[in-house]
Amino acid sequence: MSGAVNAVYVSSVLGTRVAAESGGVLGRLRDLAVTSGDTYPPVTHLLIDGRGGGHRRVPWSSVTLFRPEIILVGSGGTLVRDDADQDDLLLRRDLLDKQIVDVDGARVVRVNDLRLEPTPGALHLRAADVGLSGMLRRLGFLGFAEHLLRLCGRTAPRTEIDWEYVQPLERRLHRLALTMTRDRLSEMHPADLAGIIAQLPHRTIPAVIGALDVEAAGEAIGELEPEMGGMVLSQLGAEHASDILEEMEPDEAADLLAEVDEGRANELLGLMDVEEADKVRELLEHEGDSAGGLMNNEYLALTPDMTAEQALRQVRASAGDMESIAYGYILDADGHPLGVLSLRELLLAAPTTPVSEVMSTGLKTVDIGAEPEDIYEIIVKYRLAAVPVLDAEGRMEGIVTADDVMQHFLPLTLRLRQFRASRRF
Amino acid sequence: MSDFRARPLAGGFSLRNILLFLSLLGPGIITANVDNDAGGIATYSLAGAHFGYSLLWLLLPTTAALVVVQEMCARMGAVTGKGLSDLIRESFGLKVTFYVMIALFLTNLGNTVSEFAGIAAGMELFGVSRFISVPLAAVAVWLLIVKGTYRLVEKIFLVACLVYVAYPVAAFLAGPDWSAVGRGLVLPETSVSPESLTMIVGLVGTTIAPWMQFYQQASVVEKGITRENYAFCRLDVIVGCVMAVAVAFFIVVACAATIHQQGLNIETAADAALALKPLVGEYASFLFAFGLCNASLFAACVLPLSTSYYICEGMGWELGVDKDFREAPQFFWLFTLSIVLGAGAILLPGAPLILVMYLSQVVNGMVLPFILVFMLLLVNDRRLMGEAVNGPVFNAVAWITVAVMIALTLLLTLDTISPGFLARWF
Repeated sequence: MSGAVNAVYVSSVLGTRVAAESGGVLGRLRDLAVTSGDTYPPVTHLLIDGRGGGHRRVPWSSVTLFRPEIILVGSGGTLVRDDADQDDLLLRRDLLDKQIVDVDGARVVRVNDLRLEPTPGALHLRAADVGLSGMLRRLGFLGFAEHLLRLCGRTAPRTEIDWEYVQPLERRLHRLALTMTRDRLSEMHPADLAGIIAQLPHRTIPAVIGALDVEAAGEAIGELEPEMGGMVLSQLGAEHASDILEEMEPDEAADLLAEVDEGRANELLGLMDVEEADKVRELLEHEGDSAGGLMNNEYLALTPDMTAEQALRQVRASAGDMESIAYGYILDADGHPLGVLSLRELLLAAPTTPVSEVMSTGLKTVDIGAEPEDIYEIIVKYRLAAVPVLDAEGRMEGIVTADDVMQHFLPLTLRLRQFRASRRF
Repeated sequence: MSDFRARPLAGGFSLRNILLFLSLLGPGIITANVDNDAGGIATYSLAGAHFGYSLLWLLLPTTAALVVVQEMCARMGAVTGKGLSDLIRESFGLKVTFYVMIALFLTNLGNTVSEFAGIAAGMELFGVSRFISVPLAAVAVWLLIVKGTYRLVEKIFLVACLVYVAYPVAAFLAGPDWSAVGRGLVLPETSVSPESLTMIVGLVGTTIAPWMQFYQQASVVEKGITRENYAFCRLDVIVGCVMAVAVAFFIVVACAATIHQQGLNIETAADAALALKPLVGEYASFLFAFGLCNASLFAACVLPLSTSYYICEGMGWELGVDKDFREAPQFFWLFTLSIVLGAGAILLPGAPLILVMYLSQVVNGMVLPFILVFMLLLVNDRRLMGEAVNGPVFNAVAWITVAVMIALTLLLTLDTISPGFLARWF
């Protein structure tokens, strides 16, 4: 095509009159179709609102003039009546005003406008305008605002995201796009990811979770409020959900499962690794505001006859799955705790010494029904990183970490900051 | 963590099951109850005091319309997982959204003023000066928003909803002629006058207010309700709407049985509370005033914050109570402006409070048809809603509501522009 101006904003061309070169107005520009896949997707078709309903598709190759005032279409092009454009990526329908996940800024932004740039023979989608200037342009106030700003000696700030960095998350899946590659998503801090997930519409959540590796997904879901997390879980396929649950801390997984429908919870537990599922099931039995509800049943258990070296080997083998390995607990054959060994003591002990010789006895423990206040008191008083939880028979059931107790006592303000980042009221 | 095997509505009437049930219910009941705010109570009181039982019949079609409208929002929230301003922005573009949001801000600002006016009037009945009650209330609202979580706020709200029991009690104490109430409820006999028409628009406008649709949909999304557990949500909406209208009914009855019967002239909800004292005793008067304070404070919490949320959401601005003025300037300015203007207007000497409260209800009625039209277009969009689009009955009821609201509003506007218009025609 010829006569293209430089950068064109979609908002300024939509609604433009489209005329045939041979004369006669065909209608107004309704939308532009692009191919996805390219870095800067080229426009393939114009969609023109004809008279009397329906619309026409005009291939880009027959466009001879493309300006915000008028668009001319040559005779060479075919004008087809066609409503089957479901598979096209349409700029107005699918991108304009929609949300984009800004991975860099860890937030969700809205596309206020789209910038197109002509190259010889083609028109490419170059950038998404997510800033105030795009909004003002859409509203028709940009000229006025720029004039005002010039009077103050300033220019309107531009916030555009180059299309190079924008990736549709999944083809045709509610058009959610990322401003960075998928790998970057898994690298984000779980709390930031949770903030983004909380802002997304339900239906797009599976796509985002699907773009994460299961571990990152588990961490991010664990950061959500259980209610929200349960909702997310119920949106995912059962296999996927159970894989994610396996990656999570058993206590967090239990919190989530407590929020979903019973049948669904049982289905997910059934799909999980038996050992992991048992831990979660056990935790599900306890009241939320008690030691049993706060505890985690993954901890480092040692037998009295182990040497320090064997114990360390045990640490290496199992620490990867655990939230906290500040201590190793020495248990008898029935599961009664005999003593405790901090990791530091274990490292300092001679390799051949049996752990029973270096362990500290007189273990501070809490009852499975203990109130958070009691747990807090013990943890603070004895400066523990975690406290063991015993059942009625004095057997060890799990540990409550200092983190978990602190979380419980976190002032409402802080909890709000962490979890309700930008939720609706 | 709660035991996942404890199911709502199964296993007896334990406290735990009731709490679980309440945790599933919520958005609909709260929305409908916030709806009985200061402006609402004032409007219902005036309707009863000036027109007796003769406008009661209006409550039945209004309930139907309210259920239909709120259910549509809840359904859209559950199916799309998006708020109403999100959907308006995504389907109708920025320009439309911008002007809808300006209208929403203005109507909600009017409503916020009326909430603080309600607090001022209600507390003055207890002998507390507005120069103490209003600033205190404004600060309390701030604190709740900064410190509270949605769950906490929702629980406080559910408790606040119980206070509405005050109105049925007041109505029974007033000892109305129940057969006259029944006649008023089923026999529409209203003389058409500018006053009664304004009152009808005000009544419908306060019962079905534009902010309610935004609030309802957002709280459904916020609660994470999805298509799968939507049945509960629908029940919640219906129960909430019926409750809201029942409260309205008792307010009208209480005022009709006493103030209207005696031929007294009142101008405010506070007047209504005062007027009840010699007629049915201290107790009813106290209940009425207490209900007014509760309702006003309740709504003063919800309106300013929700306004800023919906506007920022629609416009794509940063939002959230965890941010600060630098990170989310629009959000905080809108929120602060609402509270400062709302509370400040009340402290102006000689502020015409009743006019503000009443007008805000009428403005609600005027903005509503626009919101409803957008909602109807959205809820019937198959791309958005799939199989959950409206059925023919819902569409019919909703469109009739829209048509009636537009007609009433037009008549009212014409009468304002050219006084005596209605008198000439009816």
